[in-house]
Amino acid sequence: MGADSLLDIQNLKLDLPDGRRLLEGVSFQVQAGEALGVVGESGSGKSLTAMSVMGLLPGLYASGQIVFAGQNLVGLPDKSMRKLRGARIAMIFQDPMTAFLPVRSIGAQIDEQIRLHQPRSRREARARTVQLLGRMGVPDPAMAAKRYPHQLSGGLRQRAMIAMALSCSPDLLIADEPTTALDVTVQAQILTLLREIRDEGAGVMLITHDMGVVAQACTHVAVMYSGLVVERGPVRDVLDRPLHPYTQALLAAIPPLEGPRPEQLPTIPGQPPTPENRPSGCVFAPRCGFVRPDCGVRPALIETEEGRRVACVLYAV
Amino acid sequence: MNVLLEARRLEKQYKLGGGRVLHAVSDVSLQVHRGEALALVGESGCGKSSLGRTLIGLTQPTSGEVLFDGHRISGLSDHALRPWRARMQMVFQDSSAAFNPRRTVGESLAEPLRIHGRKNIRARVDDLLDQVGLARSVADRYPHEFSGGQRQRLNIARALVLGPDLLVADEPVSALDVSVQAQIVNLFRDLRASLGVACVFISHDLSVVRQMADRIAVMYLGSIVEEGDGLEVLDRPAHPYTKALLDAVPRPDRPLPPPLKGDVPSPVNPPSGCRFHTRCPIAQPKCATDRPSLQPCGVGRRVACHYPLVA
Ligand SMILES: Nc1ncnc2c1ncn2[C@@H]1O[C@H](COP(=O)(O)OP(=O)(O)OP(=O)(O)O)[C@@H](O)[C@H]1O
Ligand SMILES: Nc1ncnc2c1ncn2[C@@H]1O[C@H](COP(=O)(O)OP(=O)(O)OP(=O)(O)O)[C@@H](O)[C@H]1O
Ligand code: SF4
Ligand SMILES: [Mg+2]
Ligand SMILES: [Mg+2]
Repeated sequence: MGADSLLDIQNLKLDLPDGRRLLEGVSFQVQAGEALGVVGESGSGKSLTAMSVMGLLPGLYASGQIVFAGQNLVGLPDKSMRKLRGARIAMIFQDPMTAFLPVRSIGAQIDEQIRLHQPRSRREARARTVQLLGRMGVPDPAMAAKRYPHQLSGGLRQRAMIAMALSCSPDLLIADEPTTALDVTVQAQILTLLREIRDEGAGVMLITHDMGVVAQACTHVAVMYSGLVVERGPVRDVLDRPLHPYTQALLAAIPPLEGPRPEQLPTIPGQPPTPENRPSGCVFAPRCGFVRPDCGVRPALIETEEGRRVACVLYAV
Repeated sequence: MNVLLEARRLEKQYKLGGGRVLHAVSDVSLQVHRGEALALVGESGCGKSSLGRTLIGLTQPTSGEVLFDGHRISGLSDHALRPWRARMQMVFQDSSAAFNPRRTVGESLAEPLRIHGRKNIRARVDDLLDQVGLARSVADRYPHEFSGGQRQRLNIARALVLGPDLLVADEPVSALDVSVQAQIVNLFRDLRASLGVACVFISHDLSVVRQMADRIAVMYLGSIVEEGDGLEVLDRPAHPYTKALLDAVPRPDRPLPPPLKGDVPSPVNPPSGCRFHTRCPIAQPKCATDRPSLQPCGVGRRVACHYPLVA
């Protein structure tokens, strides 16, 4: 495990200057050609994990390891990090407006991104921009490149942002809720795109709240709760047979789109802990229906079967 | 009379610059029965919020009328509308905007009661908090002290203060985490059962809508294209657009089918004939010229399509 991973995060911890711990020890891998879905409670640290990989968390103290293509990114000087960002690791966000400046055409901004990392003439860069936009299914890409961000529909803007992220053929694409604000029909187009990117050999880390999106676009999934990965494994296994009680509760809370309609949806009692009152044992214990005395000691993320891990005493050997 | 709210041939247009007109709601007729939950679904910009606001008089229709409890409420002045306002309330997407940040939530909840000269105000506030599943003690706290889910419970409590017959809830759970969302979905079910309040839910999430609504109206470019019993519409869609929406929902058990072609056309310049014909996978020449009207299709169901998928 790990040696030839594209991205290998081991025991990543993230602390605020005042000592509050936001990430409690996150571990997972992303292989080339695979997509890891990262799901879990709002505030569980999904975006923080992504931003750590991007090296975009000024003021927070990281420890542990983020090994990307053999190189540990934790503590890497800003200058080296900038070389990786955009070129080998790219990121897309929920709101494409954050990726584009409002005052310049999207084409000009993608051209610039290309020329920042590759020696190309303006003409060559624009040709590549138009080609990329076309690949994203943007109709009349040469025209679209001349448009300003606000002149495009949400779906087109999202595709333009993905085009920009892919402009330097990154090895790793990080997507933080890239389809949350989109309609299902547009989302379907973006998910198809992500699948193609993966087929071409890039690794993808996809943060989402939507289990259907995970099922469609990902090969593996990591479930986070309160700054920790509590379960991870191949998508099919985790969705069909969730092990961790939190994963089980999360899946049960989704209203079904088919079959009988339940009277009540199963819910999780209580609220997730804040960093200040995070339990020293299992972080899910205060809300867990299976809690027992040995949950008072933090369970490790142990392998239960080939490729699957869970942090819960119910599966301790 | 069983019909609580009725819309007849509603149009809502927005005037844009340069003489252009945006058709946000176009020829919508519908009914909401007492105690019933109707969901409005459809893609961004199809006119759900505009319709919802028009239904309860927050905005005036360009033409057509709205009847509440048999009385015409569209076209009324603000003053004439006031007595009706207490009976129709709106719940918005999770927001603390509805509460004054400098007042305790108890004070905010009490205010409309005081304005309407109600008695036993403290007891009523306690009741409301019980109904939405919050401890009575939270009345002394301030809005910023609440989580997203708790805030949405407060928003619902605020909408219930005056004992309305109808709630219009615009994306009431879309900003919430899956597990919190489930709590609020359940809460709406409980409230409908205990208070008999009718609801119009606006949402773009089909599985949420299936759980919350008795009836569903699917909108496309300002018009209802299909309407009927919630489970039936979603389990056996009659309109090609409803089917396309369902197909596009990512699910564990099957690969995504090819997406709909093209983008949603502009509501400033909607297509001729059936407004969906530019993207419809089964369109025929007739669809580009003749606009299909909402016609009965099975029991309690209407569909606007020349070639419905179920008879
Ligand atoms: N710069 C910061 N300073 C202090 N706390 C922070 C900072 N950034 C994030 N946090 C806190 O860290 C926790 C994890 O945040 P993060 O944004 O990673 O959550 P998330 O899993 O992405 O949630 P969501 O699903 O809501 O996007 C949250 O409780 C958040 O309030
Ligand atoms: N005050 C307004 N002035 C001009 N156009 C408006 C106004 N309000 C809404 N629109 C337009 O009317 C159409 C319908 O908007 P509406 O907000 O009702 O849609 P919606 O279905 O609620 O969308 P969403 O799912 O994004 O909330 C859109 O094209 C919108 O841009
Ligand atoms: S009327 Fe024609 S274009 Fe419209 S939905 Fe039906 S088949 Fe498609
Ligand atoms: Mg996040
Ligand atoms: Mg809306």
